[in-house]
Amino acid sequence: MSVVQISGLRKYFDAVHAVDGVDLDIDQGEFLVILGPSGCGKTTLMRMIAGLEKPTAGSIHIDGADVTELPPRKRGVSMVFQSYALYPHMSVYNNIAFPLKAQRREKKFDKATMRSKVESIAKLLEIDELLDRRPRQLSGGQRQRVAIARAMVTQPAVLLLDEPLSNLDAKLRANARDELKDFQRSSDITAVFVTHDQIEAMGLGDRIVVMEKGKIQQIGSPQRIYDDPANEFVATFLGSPSMNILRAEGYRFGFRPEHFLPKTLSDNPENSVSFHYFVKRVEYLGSDRLVYGYVGGHENELTLAKVPSNVRVSLDIEGEYEFAVHYDDIKYFDEASGERIEARVAGAAW
Amino acid sequence: MGPLRLGNFPLDNRRLIGALFLTPALLYIVLLVGFPFALSIAFGFSDVTVGNTDLSFVGFRNFLAVWENDIFRQVFETTIRFTLISQVFILIFANILAVIFTQEFTGKWFARFIFILPWATPVSLAMIGWLWMLDTKYSPIDYLLLQMGLLGRGGLLSDNRNLYWLAAPDLAQISVIFVQVWRMTPLATVILMAGLSSIPTDILDQAEVDGSRFMRTLLQIKLPLILPIMVIALLFSMITMFGDMTVVYVLTRGGPVDYTRVLGLYSFQVGIEGGNLAQGAAISLFAFPLLLAMAIFMLRTASRAEVR
Repeated sequence: MSVVQISGLRKYFDAVHAVDGVDLDIDQGEFLVILGPSGCGKTTLMRMIAGLEKPTAGSIHIDGADVTELPPRKRGVSMVFQSYALYPHMSVYNNIAFPLKAQRREKKFDKATMRSKVESIAKLLEIDELLDRRPRQLSGGQRQRVAIARAMVTQPAVLLLDEPLSNLDAKLRANARDELKDFQRSSDITAVFVTHDQIEAMGLGDRIVVMEKGKIQQIGSPQRIYDDPANEFVATFLGSPSMNILRAEGYRFGFRPEHFLPKTLSDNPENSVSFHYFVKRVEYLGSDRLVYGYVGGHENELTLAKVPSNVRVSLDIEGEYEFAVHYDDIKYFDEASGERIEARVAGAAW
Repeated sequence: MGPLRLGNFPLDNRRLIGALFLTPALLYIVLLVGFPFALSIAFGFSDVTVGNTDLSFVGFRNFLAVWENDIFRQVFETTIRFTLISQVFILIFANILAVIFTQEFTGKWFARFIFILPWATPVSLAMIGWLWMLDTKYSPIDYLLLQMGLLGRGGLLSDNRNLYWLAAPDLAQISVIFVQVWRMTPLATVILMAGLSSIPTDILDQAEVDGSRFMRTLLQIKLPLILPIMVIALLFSMITMFGDMTVVYVLTRGGPVDYTRVLGLYSFQVGIEGGNLAQGAAISLFAFPLLLAMAIFMLRTASRAEVR
């Protein structure tokens, strides 16, 4: 069952179409990631779900009720900001209790209930020892937990997270990602997570919504989005280094650097396309070798290959090699629109 | 070729440019604050008068004489009372106005401009305006009240045609405090507005998502967060007002009787108009330890309340 239903949602800031016609259903208990480059409208979309931004057009339903015109406090949503936005002058306890106090009149619960709610969520997030501290006395990871506790204490229908991991250092981030996912799964909360980091998106999302220019480009599981991109934008936005794109007569085609390997390694060469590959430069990255070069007939289009280090083929600068890509790993795009097309539609002749 | 060499041009020299930028401020402090202050201390411990400018040291004689003077005690008490009462109103009005002026509404620019005028107008000029407004006979305020039937025979406020804003003891004090509040509120408001707009929008958005409404956000988020800045604003207006003499000098000359005589005016009257420079200096120096203690206390409060 879907908790949030968004239809025809638009937000225009004068001439800028930040969100330009979004339809999206978010299911109960799912971890939905909205992924896109900065300026793609993902944060505006989230702020409209929260009620912080009024849509230009379209509607938002939460738990079946139309909340398009309602203020945030009547929506049953809560939010964790990138900066965590902890109230610096309040103790951790008062930070977590703040939404309860603010909604006490409507929800009708007493002080003791409030205390037990705060304490149980604090225990769940392992910050029950910190309740008397001030935010400035906490580490980045602890602050993030406090922000999540404050967002969860009212048991919202949807938890919105705006790049909450980007303020943590790289080491902490992997750990925090893991904990966040565990916490979301065990509490069965519906989470919407906005990020520009594809690794975060791939790791956390049950489904990923890829956005660009205010529009949804594709919705799907991480694997679906990666292996079966709907268009050239999605294909090149995901993956590092990004997909090689080459021009052909009437269409473009692409393949990922990790799928572009010496032909001698191919397990079924008859199902592969071979290319003459001219190597210009090789970077040794530890686990892989990143090869820069070009393929025959496409001298002006830089083509990368990512060859695992355990592949002992020698690759020399200025050398010429036979490389191959499996048919299934080649994607075809319409020349004009960039949309995915079938190989036979493209008329690719290998 | 070595690394690019900087420092050949005189302005690239850090010490030189540092000294250059500091000099105006230092000059200002030394010439316009330090020198007069040192001079008033020298005067306070001497027997200098307008007629005899030889400085001879007389110890604490001036200070003792001033302290035993009943008029001085009354003046001192009046100054403190005026300052404290006006600060209460300044804080209330400045907070309300700062909140209003940080909202979005049409004509905000114009409203802000009009509102800053009392502070931007030279004090003496503004006071002459008020002198007319509060005139004993021709006060426009009295005229309006008269038209409304509140003044004159059978009027609710008085049977007289005038309220005597600057001549009746209670009303004169109220008038002086009112004008001070009118004059000082804009500065405090501007300082508070700066404080309010420095609150991160994330915090305010968070409060909104957390379900907080206007009053709760104001009282539990905004005001606590601008408390340090509020203390600074208070300190500014307190110090300005404590030493001010222009308002009463133009409006009442300290009258009726001594009801509106404040420290700055009294010091001026004794020292300059009365010619007793030494005692005038001693009078004004009484404000110094009080203001110093207040400044230290408030700055410490501000830095303690500051949340990093």
